[in-house]
Amino acid sequence: MLSDTEYRAVVEFVYREARLADEARYAEWLALWTDDGVYWMPATTDPGADPDKHISHIYDNRGRLETRIKLLQTGYRYSQEPASLMRRLVSNIEAAPADNGELVVESNFALAELAIQAKREMHWWVGRTTHRLRRVGGELKMCRKKVVLVNAAEPLPNLAFLI
Amino acid sequence: MSSLSPAPSIDYKALVQDDRIHASLYTDPRIFDDEMERIFRRGWVFVGHDSEIPGAGDFVTRRIGTEPVIMVRGTDGAVAVFVNRCMHRGTMVCPADRGHARTFTCPYHGWTYDVSGALLGVPYPGGYTAFDKSTHGLARAPRVSSYRGFVFASLSPTGIPLSEHLGSATKLFDRSCDLSPAGAVELTAGWVKHHCAANWKALPENDSDGYHLGFVHRALFSTVRTQYQRVVGEEKAIKAVVRDWGNGHMEIDWSPGYQGPFEWLGGASGSAVTEFVAALERRDGTDLARRRILEGPAHALIFPNLFLGETNIAIVEPLGVEECVHWHTPMFLKGVPEFNSRLLRMAEAGMGPASFLMPEDLTVAARNQLGLHARTVAWLELGRGLNRERVDAEGRTVSHVTDETTNRALWRHYRTVMTEA
Repeated sequence: MLSDTEYRAVVEFVYREARLADEARYAEWLALWTDDGVYWMPATTDPGADPDKHISHIYDNRGRLETRIKLLQTGYRYSQEPASLMRRLVSNIEAAPADNGELVVESNFALAELAIQAKREMHWWVGRTTHRLRRVGGELKMCRKKVVLVNAAEPLPNLAFLI
Repeated sequence: MSSLSPAPSIDYKALVQDDRIHASLYTDPRIFDDEMERIFRRGWVFVGHDSEIPGAGDFVTRRIGTEPVIMVRGTDGAVAVFVNRCMHRGTMVCPADRGHARTFTCPYHGWTYDVSGALLGVPYPGGYTAFDKSTHGLARAPRVSSYRGFVFASLSPTGIPLSEHLGSATKLFDRSCDLSPAGAVELTAGWVKHHCAANWKALPENDSDGYHLGFVHRALFSTVRTQYQRVVGEEKAIKAVVRDWGNGHMEIDWSPGYQGPFEWLGGASGSAVTEFVAALERRDGTDLARRRILEGPAHALIFPNLFLGETNIAIVEPLGVEECVHWHTPMFLKGVPEFNSRLLRMAEAGMGPASFLMPEDLTVAARNQLGLHARTVAWLELGRGLNRERVDAEGRTVSHVTDETTNRALWRHYRTVMTEA
């Protein structure tokens, strides 16, 4: 059980992370990560999915995460040029301490994306996020973010923004 | 009295010319319907791979064109492809992507089939006087055949055999499969499905297009070093080629530009690699093994829907005239499990909706589709490289990697298939 103060800090982190992603504030978003961060989006809703055996949509370590951000910053990542207009709602936030002092935070999200790069379509993304947060120098950082879309195994349009 | 006259048939010879094609080939729903019949029902279509259904009763569901099918391994070990439709009232009998089954039961009225397609039972049989179960088994693809574990089916009982359809392009499968010391690839990582807002033919054309890389993928090439670096330089310095294998099959061959082993893998070293190379040398001898690790796997389109995408396998699934799905999975090399996690990470880097390559391809494909609705200009150029193509000793047309030899290979075969009797 977290204290009210701790829970509030977690909620503020999750909201801030969502807003930075929505607004394509890439460098600020990247700064939320620890150096050993893992950003995982399985291609299945199976809770037993093993990223070393099954293909994922995203399985980034820190190096690949930085590449992902650099691509977006070139101005030639045409799938996000211009960046999609997005707003996401984050809700149902539950947080619990892990054995090693980190925090495990689960939440649901619903994200409306206007993909303006070609057909100008609204895309609707819904799923569940598990953040693992760690205090580094008094600040919360993400060391893991797992995003499971309700339609993870279905045909998906481009997802080159930060989810 | 007036009578309905049949709609005038489409003149594919006029629409597909040697050096240009008409935009309606990407936008006309009547043409899409013709393609589903002539290319996807009458011809050979890739359905799945042996390694996806290793045991009796294992199945995957796919579509041949727009027709839902089940690929299942029978109790005799043979692979069959059934139309995924109850013989009673047409309900899809199997809704799962994949799984294991002893029977398939229709949810509507309980008709039940075994994995050989035989109808086992019909509830309340008193409603029929003499019901013959043997004539109500699941409809099956009349022709199923495979090459090196790649299973193809045709919904037509007649036509050329798979061996004739593939022709010498079997060598492209060999090039990929023989990289495995066990001589086989395994597609066991599951599939990612990437929705594309363009006509299905845009995918094989783009997957075999060596001209777009430095432009569409400029973000990636300006950020990290990749195995494709050598194809975005000065025109005359590029050594990679495109090659027409006939019957609509075509490839990009990067290997003339490779200068050392494993460039296709972004380099490789360590004890697992040493053992891998030693295993290939034991089987093939030193010279052939070295050539294999220098050249790497095939980058080839097998008409109409299979992409041997180097270390990935991809499927092109048409949905409608302006939408399709690009499926992909990493191509695991049997016998070298140490490579698999690396191949997984490579697949995620290159392919799929959140990767570093394909989102750009499919954004441009969607913009291409929008542009093709213009009719003030109704033709697409197809002539690049006609001035410098050559024919090699095996009769295949070869040209500079940026040339439209691959597009022409596809369209020439397309015209044949769409106009033959």
